Amino acid sequence: MFEKSLLKNVGKNKSHVIDSYISSGGYDALKKVLKEYTPEELIQLVKDSSLRGRGGAGFPTGLKWSFVPKDPTLPKYLCCNADEGEPGTFKDREIIEKDPHQLIEGMAIASYAIGVRNAFIYIRGEFVLGANRLEEAISEAYKKGFLGKKILGSDFSLDLSVHRGAGAYICGEETALIESLEGDRGQPRFKPPFPAIKGLYMSPTVVNNVETLSCIPHIVLKGASWFKEIGPEKSPGPKIYCLSGHVKKPGVYELPMGVTLRYLIEEHGEGTNSGKKIKAVIPGGVSAPMFPESGLDIDMDFDSLAAAGSMLGSGGVIVMDETTCIVKVATRIIEFFHHESCGKCTPCREGLEWVSKILIRLESGDGRKGDVELLEDLCNNIFGKTFCPLGDGAVMSLRGALKHFKEEFLYHVDKGGCMVA
Amino acid sequence: MAIVTIDNREVEVKDAISILDAARSIGIDIPTFCFQARLSGLASCRLCLVEIEGQRKLQPSCVTPVMDGMVIKTNTPAVVESRRAMLEFILANHPLDCPVCDKAGECELQDMVFTFGPREGRFSDKKRRFHEKDYRLNSVVVKNANRCVQCQRCVRMCEEIVGAVALGAIGRGAWTEETGFVKSLEGCDHCGNCIEVCPVGSLMNYPYRYKSRPWDLAETDTICPYCGTGCHITVGLRDGNLMRVRSKKDTGINRETLCVKGRFGIDFITDEHRIKRPMVRKNNTLVPVSWRETWNCLQEKLSALIGSKKPVGGLASPRYTNEVLYTFQKLMRTVFKTNSIDSSVKFNVSDGKSPDLYEVLGDIISQRYSRVSLSDALDTDAVLILGGNITDENPVTDYTLRYTLSKKNLKLFIASIRPTRLDTDAGAVFRHLPGEESFILAGVLNGIIGSNKTDVLDKTFNNFETFKNAVKGSGNGGLTGLGGFIKDLVSGINTSKRISLFIGGELLRSSGASTSVQMLHNLINILDILKKVVNIQFLFDLPNQLGAWDMGVMPNMLPGYRRLDDSDGKGLFEKDWGVSLPSDAGDNFVRMMERSAKGEMGGLYILGEDPVLTYPDVNVVKDALSKLDLLIVQDAFLTETAKMADIVLPGSTFAENDGTFTNNEGRLQRVRGFHTPAFDSKKDIEILSHVASLTECKRVPSSSTDAFEEILRLIEPYKGINLQEIGGDGTMTHNSKAESLKKLYVPKISTPERTKALRLVTGNNLFHSGHLSERSRTLKALLDRPFVEINREDAADFNVEDGEDVLVCTRDSDIKVKVRTGRSFPRGVAFIPDNFKDVRLNRLFKRGEYPVCVEIKKV
Repeated sequence: MFEKSLLKNVGKNKSHVIDSYISSGGYDALKKVLKEYTPEELIQLVKDSSLRGRGGAGFPTGLKWSFVPKDPTLPKYLCCNADEGEPGTFKDREIIEKDPHQLIEGMAIASYAIGVRNAFIYIRGEFVLGANRLEEAISEAYKKGFLGKKILGSDFSLDLSVHRGAGAYICGEETALIESLEGDRGQPRFKPPFPAIKGLYMSPTVVNNVETLSCIPHIVLKGASWFKEIGPEKSPGPKIYCLSGHVKKPGVYELPMGVTLRYLIEEHGEGTNSGKKIKAVIPGGVSAPMFPESGLDIDMDFDSLAAAGSMLGSGGVIVMDETTCIVKVATRIIEFFHHESCGKCTPCREGLEWVSKILIRLESGDGRKGDVELLEDLCNNIFGKTFCPLGDGAVMSLRGALKHFKEEFLYHVDKGGCMVA
Repeated sequence: MAIVTIDNREVEVKDAISILDAARSIGIDIPTFCFQARLSGLASCRLCLVEIEGQRKLQPSCVTPVMDGMVIKTNTPAVVESRRAMLEFILANHPLDCPVCDKAGECELQDMVFTFGPREGRFSDKKRRFHEKDYRLNSVVVKNANRCVQCQRCVRMCEEIVGAVALGAIGRGAWTEETGFVKSLEGCDHCGNCIEVCPVGSLMNYPYRYKSRPWDLAETDTICPYCGTGCHITVGLRDGNLMRVRSKKDTGINRETLCVKGRFGIDFITDEHRIKRPMVRKNNTLVPVSWRETWNCLQEKLSALIGSKKPVGGLASPRYTNEVLYTFQKLMRTVFKTNSIDSSVKFNVSDGKSPDLYEVLGDIISQRYSRVSLSDALDTDAVLILGGNITDENPVTDYTLRYTLSKKNLKLFIASIRPTRLDTDAGAVFRHLPGEESFILAGVLNGIIGSNKTDVLDKTFNNFETFKNAVKGSGNGGLTGLGGFIKDLVSGINTSKRISLFIGGELLRSSGASTSVQMLHNLINILDILKKVVNIQFLFDLPNQLGAWDMGVMPNMLPGYRRLDDSDGKGLFEKDWGVSLPSDAGDNFVRMMERSAKGEMGGLYILGEDPVLTYPDVNVVKDALSKLDLLIVQDAFLTETAKMADIVLPGSTFAENDGTFTNNEGRLQRVRGFHTPAFDSKKDIEILSHVASLTECKRVPSSSTDAFEEILRLIEPYKGINLQEIGGDGTMTHNSKAESLKKLYVPKISTPERTKALRLVTGNNLFHSGHLSERSRTLKALLDRPFVEINREDAADFNVEDGEDVLVCTRDSDIKVKVRTGRSFPRGVAFIPDNFKDVRLNRLFKRGEYPVCVEIKKV
């Protein structure tokens, strides 16, 4: 029987307060780490657990940590990426608002492993409650000696600060996050050098997602093998899925990695709210290409979804029933990416503008012959040529829609209206 | 080294250089928009994407470093298609208004689309438009955001090289617009470097707007006539009329940059006060006459002057070419038999108490001046900038330093009177008053002696003990902050192997200038003995000050710094020129004025200087000039001094002269005339040679080619140079002897006194340099009102507010100007730029008293 770890405190009275967290075994992992582990052993533990980053890319966390130079004279930084902005995703928000100490403990342990003295939480500007909760939690943790100088009597010290973003989706990209944290325009930086070598203030930096860091205390307490035994071998562990759209019970669900999409929607979401048939599902936030109903038996883990031509991304599942106009969905998604494009590189800035102009026209019934082919061609011209993954993500979502629902686009061109409505 | 294969060609390149650099090194061109050699890599235009074997995606070649064994392809179908696609994206929203765009014809977008496609447009929706009409960011930059390709070259140029941070991007995504925001444009230098780097017609040169098409311009490469940095400029004319000035990204010390004076300020050549015809004084009035009448009159006056046996002097501006200056001193020495030749009015050449400035300067310039390129001088561990204000006087040198500091870790120390823009990059900064330089240097020397083993110094200099005692205690007394500055500087010097000294020309203006130069000598000598690699370069605000001295426009030395008592040297010139030369040292300009006031001087030949406006103490100079038997002024403009002359000879500007300048680095560069002399004016060298021909003397050179031949033959630093081989980057002159001097000067170092009184200083500002820039309509429009700048708290003490009209008063005189207050401006100092003719600033100064105490009063 799967037992919740990440969301186990959610729903308890005042779960965000430190006493509540401590009463359920909170900060035990930090105590254990400071007593029993060297930083190297800790990194090895995380490597052994096969934890992969929960922000979307699924990069092995232990490996990322091990890239940071060991030179003790270099300042090193840890940034928690809490700029959760992918439409359809709201898992980090749950942790931040309901169980902020889990994140703080995870960050303290990660900082110990990497040799960080100053850590930052870059939180999405709109998360006002979350930011306040974090500030309160941090000050509680300082008072109890879990943060600050000589934590729990050890030689390990850590200062943790919260930085609120100013409303740019791109700042969830790690290098843009770093630029923004430094006070510059939120635009991605060229890699290499990777942040692990030259990141914040040109010093070694690790950027990890909220959910990733929250897994750390559990791995420490329950062991790498416990973590590895949950879900598929190559992407194991508990995963928080966000369920939204035309579904009866939307919300966050902590389940093992690798459950099927159908199981998630039918067992936990209890099917569509309208009772109508499902038309399409976006499995991992709007950057992830959608599946038609026939694709719902896919396993929700990094590798299976990638093999099926989509991605797990942030685990934001959006369900659409048969009344949905896919052209309208694609238009809305592209408008989002166009609006959020930082403007740095040509294909994303100009390409998405062009694509969105065509789609808006198409959707409103002013499509022209050749528009669909032009869209496909523009997708090819954008894909793989952008500076960062934002443009690629936009194109992938549109390509997904065109792949499975091309006839709807052609119908819009031919009839000047929608098949569904 | 790494071996990479680019388009099937194997090439060995330096590790970690970019693929773009590697490809260009073997002649393979990859198109770029956002790339600019000296700016940080952006990789945003995606035009330079190339294929790398083993990598899934195309990679930007401008920022991707090469790795050993890399196989790169720059011309595969995927790369070609990607380029076409990127250009199609850029064109989608581009207005395609080439017929009315100033850039058409030299537009990078046009050129690239022509080469790489697309051949047809597929975009059929409404284009993005930021605004319907172009708008001006200021009086020199006009902008059309619709044409922008978002390469950010302008923003990076403004921030990384110029340091002004006037431009930035507002908005996001497709609606990003490069412009100034909040008050950033108030800090704009108006240098126009953003225009220069703009690949399209987004940022444009307003004075040039709609005046010409690039293909209608006749362009000439020459050297900027403003400061001693010696920037390469390309002047464009249409039908003989000046249209614009631009820089070339691969040529000259300045590369793609210029300052506001260089880019917008050379329209002085068409100033309405250009002298059109020669003039002769008749019945106490200057009357325009013909050249024939002028020569007749001059011949008569010259024979009377030479016959009178009264001494004659010469003053020549370092704005002239080497050839003109060489010819001028030859004329003075051979025709007028005098060594009384000077090239500056503002330098504190003699205060009666210390040795003559030119004596000490001559040694340093002839024996120890580095004559290495600025980039070589900056290939160092520590830099000290002392005296002057590099940001205002030598803006492009300031850019070069800023660029170097961004690339490597070198320690920068600045001691200056006024704040500079490099302060924020410096390890330590000290604000001093003119005259305190020698005290600072003594403190530095004291610190170095105290923290190094001195046996070797003791052995080398026989007066070391005396010297040591003389500087003991210097540097910590009196001045707040100096102790810390010296401590940092000394530790910076001690921990460096290589040190470069940049000495502002303003140091020579202060009282005690010769003591400062002596201490500079001592510093160099001691650092030499301590086995440091020392570079020294002056930062003059005039284009050919070093050249003027090289040419012998000095009262105590012959060309090439041959001393008057060196019989070999003197013999060389006597033999070559075929005359005997006077052996007594001549007078500097201050002495000339003193003697003239006593009625001892017979005549004065002034070439391009305006002492009536610039000599510190207007009454002295007016009195002295009026007592001369003959005052000849040769100038392009009717200056205040020319108005007092007996004979006015209409000469030329740099725009009408061919020749060479020697810049601050000691780099010899070609000046090429591009403008026809106005009306009856003549080339300067022709006038000088004609004047000589009126006497019984041997000929002086009548063309710059002749003069240059003599320079090559006679002046050591110029030997071996071939004029025809001097390219866009010029060529370095060399020092004849570079051995270190084995003596230390032991001047009396007095502790500076800082009273509460406000001290008035002057100098250049960003928009003006001397009286030349005020003749530029564009520069005058940028700043045409004189001002006095003081600290905000000082202003409060005097009960005046920013922008108010005030009186700046000395004991005997006062002038009315607007007051500017600044928070970072040092307390106790008042600054009035020296360029505003109408202010007659020299009414406030007394010779030898610099700075002068002033008070500020409400009007």
